[in-house]
Amino acid sequence: MRDYEIMTIHRPDLTEDEIEAKITELESYLSDSGVSVTKRELWGKRRFAYEIDHMSEGYYSVLSIHAEPGAVDSIDRRLSLADEVVRHKIVRPGE
Amino acid sequence: MPRKNKRTPRAVRGGRRENYRRGKPKPCAVCAQGGALDWKDASFLRKFVSDRGKIRSRRVSGLCPRDQRRVATAVKNAREMALLPYVSIR
Repeated sequence: MRDYEIMTIHRPDLTEDEIEAKITELESYLSDSGVSVTKRELWGKRRFAYEIDHMSEGYYSVLSIHAEPGAVDSIDRRLSLADEVVRHKIVRPGE
Repeated sequence: MPRKNKRTPRAVRGGRRENYRRGKPKPCAVCAQGGALDWKDASFLRKFVSDRGKIRSRRVSGLCPRDQRRVATAVKNAREMALLPYVSIR
């Protein structure tokens, strides 16, 4: 088991409640696949340093998780397929 | 006719330039705060990029070799997530 951090950027045209729901959805998906979420941070709407797909801002969130290395691939895939996620990144903290 | 200043620069002559910055070297900015580095902290990483968004060189940033590498990857991670610019025209 290792620690990871998942940072996601959600589309800015969603409402706060929708974002909240999407993240809860992601969390329940994580716990279903045997991953424990240790920390949840919602940064809220933030301006991008550069334009991404004609969007200039997005909702940032960071989830700290404790997972098997193999579980990360499926999380990564799920996030890349999600339309509401503009960008995501999974890193091992402290690297 | 006034004589022009044709003295060789200090760096060439040796002398004071050679022993400037004697004494204890300044601890690098990352080590000084306990060595923890977070790529999500864009405002902190701003210190290590130029106005244009380029990563400052080791000579300018004053970081130790390990932290220069870590800062560089942190800046690159932050750029991917649009926390820092790749280029910014100013």
